[in-house]
Amino acid sequence: MENTVAVLMRKAPYGSVYTAEGLRSILGIGVFEIDVRVLFVDDGVYALVKNQDPSVLDMKSLGDAFPSLPEFGVSSFTVHAPSLAERGLSVEDLVIDAELVDDAGAAALLASAGTVLPF
Amino acid sequence: MKIGVLVLEGPYQHQAADSAYHFVKAALARGHEIVGIFLYTDGVNNANGYIKPPGERNIAERYSELASQGIDVIACTACARFRGFRRDMVVENVRLGGLGALADQLKAADRFVTFGD
Repeated sequence: MENTVAVLMRKAPYGSVYTAEGLRSILGIGVFEIDVRVLFVDDGVYALVKNQDPSVLDMKSLGDAFPSLPEFGVSSFTVHAPSLAERGLSVEDLVIDAELVDDAGAAALLASAGTVLPF
Repeated sequence: MKIGVLVLEGPYQHQAADSAYHFVKAALARGHEIVGIFLYTDGVNNANGYIKPPGERNIAERYSELASQGIDVIACTACARFRGFRRDMVVENVRLGGLGALADQLKAADRFVTFGD
């Protein structure tokens, strides 16, 4: 199978383990010669918002981790623009430079990946 | 077809672990090959050998049964540590492994199917 894995971030960064574990999986499999692409949709876009402070939850900010992912060989970040707009957010609010896509662009990215890992 | 399976939810709380089991059984019956099952996050709890549900299906035994047929069923080592899940608690035939094992399954599979929330 083509070694392209799309990691799909669908959920808010806190409240369930999904986004945190999606991030760990990116770090975990990215080093095994797998081309990892990350797509943020729905509440998943909140994972990229600047100045997250989950200290009141005794948790660490996930937003701080994404800018360092290129050091681990993962630098393909795509955000579903309608999800961003529906939440009153824009690219200026995000911790990384991400490519914006519409519905068709998101679908094309998922279709082109050998595997999709939904978190 | 070579199929890999990822399970992201634990036993009894959620349908995912049951659906994954039935999916694997059906795929095998159709002649497909299962390259591996990776039990991730709460999914590791499906491999708890101490599961004894009175009068109900035993999900851990089901995964043990699949592994006994030669399917590589792996529970995430780090996830196990987060959940106090000790190595000696793992049900027979299932083993602990890291994300490198998941990467291997991803590479070996023609299709990779995730069961979760």
